[in-house]
Amino acid sequence: MVSDTLYKKLSARVNELSKLPKLDDQKSIPKLIEENGFSRREFMTWAGTMTAMLALPASYTPLIAKAAEVADRLPVIWLHMAECTGCTESLLRSASPSIDSLIFDHISLEYQETIMSAAGWQAEQNLENAIEKYKDRYVLMVEGGIPHGKGSHFLTIGGHGKTGEQSAIDAAEHAAAIFAIGTCSSFGGVQAAAPNPTNATSLSNVTSKPVINVPGCPPSESNIVGTLLHFLLYGSLPALDAYNRPKWAYGLRIHDMCERRGHFDAGEFVEQFGDDGAKNGFCLYKVGCKGPYTFNNCSRQKFNEGTSWPVQAGHGCAGCSEPDFWDTMGVLHEPLADRLFHTTFGGLGSDATADKIGLGLLTVTAVGIAAHAAISAVKKPKE
Amino acid sequence: MIELIEKIEGEAKLNFSFAGEEIDFVDIEFMTARNIEKILEGKSALDALVINPRVCGICGHAHLIATVKALEDCYENIEISKKAEIIRELTLTFELIQNHFKWFYLTMRPLFGKKQEVLKATYPTQLMAKAIAVFGGQYPHTSYAIVGGVVCDITEIDIIKIKHYIEETIKFFETNLVQADTKDFLVCDNVDKVLKKNGDLPDILREIKKKKYLDHGKSYDRFIAFGENSYFTKGKSHKTITTHNISIDYVKEQDNLNSLAKNVTYKDKYYEVGPLARAMINKVPLVKDSHRRYGDNIFSRIIARVCEIPQLLNHSKELLEKLDLSEPSYIEPNIDISQINASGESAVEAARGSLIHKVELENGIIKNYEIITPTQWNLGNGTRENLGVSQQAMVGLKDVKTAELVFKTFDVCSVCTTH
Repeated sequence: MVSDTLYKKLSARVNELSKLPKLDDQKSIPKLIEENGFSRREFMTWAGTMTAMLALPASYTPLIAKAAEVADRLPVIWLHMAECTGCTESLLRSASPSIDSLIFDHISLEYQETIMSAAGWQAEQNLENAIEKYKDRYVLMVEGGIPHGKGSHFLTIGGHGKTGEQSAIDAAEHAAAIFAIGTCSSFGGVQAAAPNPTNATSLSNVTSKPVINVPGCPPSESNIVGTLLHFLLYGSLPALDAYNRPKWAYGLRIHDMCERRGHFDAGEFVEQFGDDGAKNGFCLYKVGCKGPYTFNNCSRQKFNEGTSWPVQAGHGCAGCSEPDFWDTMGVLHEPLADRLFHTTFGGLGSDATADKIGLGLLTVTAVGIAAHAAISAVKKPKE
Repeated sequence: MIELIEKIEGEAKLNFSFAGEEIDFVDIEFMTARNIEKILEGKSALDALVINPRVCGICGHAHLIATVKALEDCYENIEISKKAEIIRELTLTFELIQNHFKWFYLTMRPLFGKKQEVLKATYPTQLMAKAIAVFGGQYPHTSYAIVGGVVCDITEIDIIKIKHYIEETIKFFETNLVQADTKDFLVCDNVDKVLKKNGDLPDILREIKKKKYLDHGKSYDRFIAFGENSYFTKGKSHKTITTHNISIDYVKEQDNLNSLAKNVTYKDKYYEVGPLARAMINKVPLVKDSHRRYGDNIFSRIIARVCEIPQLLNHSKELLEKLDLSEPSYIEPNIDISQINASGESAVEAARGSLIHKVELENGIIKNYEIITPTQWNLGNGTRENLGVSQQAMVGLKDVKTAELVFKTFDVCSVCTTH
């Protein structure tokens, strides 16, 4: 019954969108997908994958497909702040080619420095025009930390010599929804690591508008595209955790969904890279995996068309979707101990965000980590 | 006249000065900086392995490999298995290949008025990224290379996957870039033969001739490459004279008054780095022919970059054959890094040219870190008396649009430059 109500709600939203004018009358998404050589069946397979990722029942697949087809009613502005372009790179490798075409050819991406054809004054004008023309309708996606206050001159952009901070504030002012893409935009990122020479900060710190954080360094392409699809479908902001991350993607810990979790529970650890444990796919906690402290869906969605993810390749999670992980989760190849109870959320541990996880299980996990760390002969945990 | 340049993974400001109808000086300004080198100071050496790939999302892997090699250079004796060496070289090679495709389809072709074909850029890019991910877990931003080797323990099935990605990429190249058998293309030493072929590369090359752009983009005809591996050779070349006896000791980084990017010189001279430099030093027949006919112009720069794709794909196949899975992926260093007091340096060839990392460790803590990126070489903002490489290439042109084209043939990367 609940599902039926939701279905009706989402259908109404998609119908409403389909009545809006297309941003470009010359194109239609289904036609362009076909022209690009993708069969309807391939497109529906993609829609099915996205349905599963958004944790919706399989019967919603046609609805997701329809939402993607009307995506060309949604103007998107993507700004680059202090960053490495890794998020754009991640997006450029979107799982299925039909998603690429959806995002880059069909959704009217009004401004994206790396891939747009326009340059120079024309680019700057495009941005100003897009903000004006699609006032209160466009989705703003921001990649990169924001050099802030006295440090804001470290990101002076555009022919008018505006600071990055000012550009972000201006673009945020009339956005229908704002997504901070990547850890930099969400929490300041690598440039905000101590001593933070450019005084970089999160997007949410420079605008009073609500910002949805989609962290990860980089976030997987599916989390970026999924964020947009979610907005298309619901027309409202998703359920969020304490760090304003969508719960559909960041609701669970890496550790709880990890393919090596069985080995953790069995007390089977990689003690040293290259040892028999490493060859047998044992748990990487003792060689520095931060999976127990990190919320993301990497182990489910993986990266590069589901090819792999760091833990599968034998490297522990670096904790890149958590705030300040650069400063709080080092040293890279050493385990953290007891962290669940002393750091984030005023001592509650980052698990406070995962309100659906049973307390009993958590306690067992925490005790497990401490116990295994304590008996480790090779790596001493960082207190 | 100030022109803002986008689509260089960030942006730069080019301030053009004209004498009559010709550009007589271009001031290149980068107006952003993140100061990653400062952030590294005081951190544990191994943290550099996760921080440095984030210098650049485009060539983050080159930064990872440069970091791990610089840290390993701090050891007096360190043993790395052949297997780990090959795997590192393979992933770096895949990164170069996918970058070249993106540059050609996303940056170059639209500048010649061609349609921006995103799917053509992303398809081979995805294949190569997947090949990296099989070894490294993800792309971009993997940290799978560690001091002492690599963390992955791959299987025969992984090798089969990677072979498939390579073959598919070769197929894409042969169908789209140059419609010819890559084996023939690799031994081709005549530009005319390429011009007669079909494909997106000959299409652009013919356009350059038709538009009479052949004298565009000439610089000092001075090239350098520091990164050495089983394919690339270290050395420098001036006109046709090549020497291999070069040292990082003569590389100097200097602050720039107008820009947040630093200039880089070798023995106080500006040098071009990148695929054209590598091809000149490696004496690649087709590129040598282009250089003999047209010099160090945009034609040679484009053909050198695209030509590197099949060379590297072919070389990757040979490397895979040499991989012995029974060797260890990682050999524990004889001393813990926390006991190391030493300096180390490294150079690798990234897509856009030589990337140099220098590190100084005190009890395993980073005391000093210096990163010199390829774009710093090519985009040095020199004075009117001593122009940087790309400045020299733009002087004499008559309009800013053509100057932008010349500028972008260097495949500039803002985020690397403004680390």
